[in-house]
Amino acid sequence: MNAVPRTELLLPDRVDASTAADRLAEHVAVVTQRAHRTDRTFWDTFDGRLHAAGLALVDTGSRLALTDAQTYAEHAAADLPRGLRRVAAVDLPAGALRERLEPIVEMRVLEPTVRVRSRLLPVNVLDDLGKIVVRLDAEEPTVLPADGDQIALRARLNVAGVRGYDDDYERVLALLTGVLDLQPVAQPLHDEAIAAAGGVVGGTSSKLRVALTPDMRADAAAVAVLHRLLEIIEANVPGTLTGADTEYLHDLRVAVRRSRALQRELRGVFPPEPLRVFRAEFRELQILTGPTRDLDVQLLEFPDLVATLPAQTAPSVAPLRALLEQRLAAERATMVRGLRSARTDTLLDNWRDFLAALVASAEDERPDAARPISDVAGERIGKVYRRMVKMGRAIEADSPPEALHDLRKKGKELRYLLEFFASIYPAEVTKPMVATLKGLQDVLGRFQDREVQADALRALGDEIAALEGGAAALMAMGVLVQRLGEEQAQAREQFAERFAQFAAKPQRRLVRQIFG
Amino acid sequence: MATTVALYNIKGGVGKTSAAVNLAWTAAEEGARVLLWDLDPQGAASYLLRVRPKVRGGGAKLVRGKRDPASLLKGSDHPRLDLLPADFSYRRMDLALDATKRPTQALARVLAPLNGEYDYAFLDCAPAISLASENVFAAADVLLVPLIPTPLSLRTYDQLRAFVAKSVAKPRPRIVAFFSMVDGRKALHRSVVQELAGDGGVLRTTIPAATDVERMGSQRRALAQFAARGRAAQAYGALWTELRGRLLA
Repeated sequence: MNAVPRTELLLPDRVDASTAADRLAEHVAVVTQRAHRTDRTFWDTFDGRLHAAGLALVDTGSRLALTDAQTYAEHAAADLPRGLRRVAAVDLPAGALRERLEPIVEMRVLEPTVRVRSRLLPVNVLDDLGKIVVRLDAEEPTVLPADGDQIALRARLNVAGVRGYDDDYERVLALLTGVLDLQPVAQPLHDEAIAAAGGVVGGTSSKLRVALTPDMRADAAAVAVLHRLLEIIEANVPGTLTGADTEYLHDLRVAVRRSRALQRELRGVFPPEPLRVFRAEFRELQILTGPTRDLDVQLLEFPDLVATLPAQTAPSVAPLRALLEQRLAAERATMVRGLRSARTDTLLDNWRDFLAALVASAEDERPDAARPISDVAGERIGKVYRRMVKMGRAIEADSPPEALHDLRKKGKELRYLLEFFASIYPAEVTKPMVATLKGLQDVLGRFQDREVQADALRALGDEIAALEGGAAALMAMGVLVQRLGEEQAQAREQFAERFAQFAAKPQRRLVRQIFG
Repeated sequence: MATTVALYNIKGGVGKTSAAVNLAWTAAEEGARVLLWDLDPQGAASYLLRVRPKVRGGGAKLVRGKRDPASLLKGSDHPRLDLLPADFSYRRMDLALDATKRPTQALARVLAPLNGEYDYAFLDCAPAISLASENVFAAADVLLVPLIPTPLSLRTYDQLRAFVAKSVAKPRPRIVAFFSMVDGRKALHRSVVQELAGDGGVLRTTIPAATDVERMGSQRRALAQFAARGRAAQAYGALWTELRGRLLA
């Protein structure tokens, strides 16, 4: 029953709700109802997944409604306990709202983005029978920031049709936009409110999105990418500390890893000594956050893993889950202490200052600094690619797992280089290269992940055995370890084929032509 | 999936339309998405909601599946209450139904595509036992029967129950009655209500014969819109609460 047309129009400056109603009454029969106040809190994930999907999540106190982001037409709703500060989709009551949200937000938690208080004056347009045929709400919105003063926004007129009265809707809309010269709003109310409160409309992305040109100085290009990565790291620190969801830490770690890859691959644009210090510190940061992420992943994958067990065995792994959660809490505490320490603060501050000063600094120890980025990055891409081809060719049926792990690490390096600099090379070269690389990395990733998972389970064996219900859990874990071993073996079998695609002759030739 | 409540009585003038409009409005007010289908060719429910009693193509096309019922809906003055209006051609509904493939299922077929959109569908039915009412029996989850508390009225209620039990194929609708147009000054009304209200299939809540209900015709609005605090509006509120409790049970 939501299939009614809606539009939001902006009221001119100095025209409040009642003036608008009076002006309208000169042209059509209207009945004005009592004005009322409504408070709404808008929710989204940190990275704005609902925004990206054209949706809004509106909390009116005790009710949470998923709506269209432009018209606020409701798709689904559920009751919500008051005073909630964040919620995961899986923790919502079962029903339409949860079903719509889960695939969109996945593991990300939903948090309030902005709170808006509006005075609404309902003005209904009537037909000759005195029936409501168009609903108007003259709205005077105010942003209520978490801290600071209220911010008044421009008044709006929300126009909603009534089912079966489309002609009246069109007539009234034409009157409003024509005779009264009202313009459609440029952005939905909640986006305007977020911007007014100094927030980021559409959420904080952890995507790179850095525009480079081929003839840019290599050091300037490196700074542009690294500066963006630093932004991503800093944006994700608060969420990592609260542990609102697992994606903050994940995005933080990816940004740290990408920074390290760039520090290593473009080392010729940096002065060697400060770079050595920064690389060591970034490495520490990666080590600090590693165990928590590993446990996050194990717990995220736990349901899928348990699903592979026979139904009667599945419940017996409960002690394992509890143990993983216990470990996670301990590791998180260590990580949070580390991230809150002066050492991390100093590192990020110094790194920002270092990046800001880099391009203007002396070049005698930075041989690649002033070269065009296309030359420097091209050399690196070509070199890493050829290195991978060499490493992959050396892998045989009886090679140790480490050989595959090392190849995967190099693959990540190549992947990052392509991500950083793809925009300055022809897409017809980078696209197939990324595709075959991704195919290879998938197999290598599965190979290594299964091994890591199996090792992690084995490592918990003694501890689990000592717990109540431990024997049953241990047997179930045995089944899991075996399953993981089988999947690892499958990945190993697929390696040769994927590698052959990655290292195929036409691709090698293309890489040589483009990257040298 | 909408729960379908048909306001039905073999007799006319027992307060079906008032009940249909006020219960539908109350349910919408509570937050439910509600459809009201005015099946009575007189179009009283459509009139009360200020909607012209006209269906494009008439009732025949609708029951034959030649018209998308969603395209015929009219929003009421309540944003969660939609109306499928009456049409004068509904007076020949039996003929139209008889011409369909499974004549007793035609109304249920019209409602089927709308089911997902609503929590409740109220049917305001014309009086009489006919092919149209057999359709109503097949489409409804509940037959809600307004009864004037008189022996004659109770007799027709018994006839209705007997008919449904004997002649209507399963799954049969539940039959729930309530006393309507109750005049507290009449000893007969008082004694019938006292004896039967709240007993078995009869709801405890009764609807008084009130001036407010009559005024609906001149106001052309639901009671909640102009006499929300009056006795009658309160009674419909209580009736809905009691009925909803039964529907959930």
